Amino acid sequence: MSNHVAEIEQLKKENKELLKKIEQVEKDREEYLQNVSHQLVAPLNAIKWHIENLTEGRLGIDRIQKVLRSIYSQATLAVHLAKNFNLMSNLEADHALTKLKEPLQEIKLCQLLINLADDFQPLAWDRDIKISVIDKNFEDAPVILAMKPLVSQVFSNIIENAVKYSNSATEIIIEGIYQPKKDSVVVTIKNRGIGLDPSHTKKIFDRGFRSPEAKSKYPAGTGFGLYIARRIVEIHEGEITAKILDGWTIIEVSLSVKGLKGKARIRE
Amino acid sequence: MNKKTILLIDDEQSFLEPLADALSTEGYRILMARTASEALDILKKEKIDLVTIDIMLDPGETLKDKIDSHKTGIFLCEEISRNYPYIDAFCISVISDIKIIKKIESLGIRFLRKGETPLRTVLNMLKSRLTNVSYSSARDSNPTKRN
Repeated sequence: MSNHVAEIEQLKKENKELLKKIEQVEKDREEYLQNVSHQLVAPLNAIKWHIENLTEGRLGIDRIQKVLRSIYSQATLAVHLAKNFNLMSNLEADHALTKLKEPLQEIKLCQLLINLADDFQPLAWDRDIKISVIDKNFEDAPVILAMKPLVSQVFSNIIENAVKYSNSATEIIIEGIYQPKKDSVVVTIKNRGIGLDPSHTKKIFDRGFRSPEAKSKYPAGTGFGLYIARRIVEIHEGEITAKILDGWTIIEVSLSVKGLKGKARIRE
Repeated sequence: MNKKTILLIDDEQSFLEPLADALSTEGYRILMARTASEALDILKKEKIDLVTIDIMLDPGETLKDKIDSHKTGIFLCEEISRNYPYIDAFCISVISDIKIIKKIESLGIRFLRKGETPLRTVLNMLKSRLTNVSYSSARDSNPTKRN
């Protein structure tokens, strides 16, 4: 009898803990959806309001060019976020390895990074941030074989993060080099901003992790950008790391030149 | 000309720019704060006639350890309601939590949802509030009756 009582008590306790966990999951889900909504609405609202100002003739000639650039940068951001949420829904459903099938393509990383820097530069100019791609060494790096839309999303997530968390009037520097020993191209993206606690250099790639500094600076983040980047890099059997050096926050991505060539890395 | 001053509190440059463009065209003096700390500093120093507040907002240096950034705007709404009841306030945010919206409205602050409210509507509401309520007469009014 007493055994049964103890067992019931134990079950009650477990039930209570389970309910607590469910509540937390529900709370996290609500916060995530709220943040996703906030992130997507912000650029779309800006585009709508800018267009309203243009059509209502509220802007002087000198202002119109700047507003058009702003519309372009907000549209870039909206597209970037929509791609991320699509990837995220695949990862959430744990379909990453079966659904994220893209044909392998030869990618010249230097050119890819130049294009991405061009895409994000108007957004960065809003806060007087310059994005520079140093093509010395990088230009000569061999092409890699990988899934281009995914690799592109890795770097756009890192650049978008760098823009978001950089101090105003600073520079984001992107460099790349071929490492023959590893037969890999290593890309580094560095910025000066809110910084990174050394104890968080691994955690920032965890699902949903956001440092207190990041939460404070930009409350609506989801903490999924670098997680998505890590998952994609892992799919390509590359490496992604973060470090702090002389006030710079540095993200380093290493992708193999041979990449997925001839290998069925994307398992069913 | 005695220009009315509007303080826009939001950490999104993309939100501030078009609203500031539209309000400047109407002849208002526009001040912008990207954090709650900045906003409180401006409120102390300047004579503000109307303020717009976002909810999810960077608390800023002096408040970063004291406020949850998801609710910074609520803190500001309470501060303004308590210490600056003569300033008209609008909350413009993407949040949909009805409890938070009710709380804000209970402070006499009008809530407008980002993304759903056309700029012209925002502009008209702000203008009508500034035209109908003079600084001195609003000062003595009960903040809970602003709407």
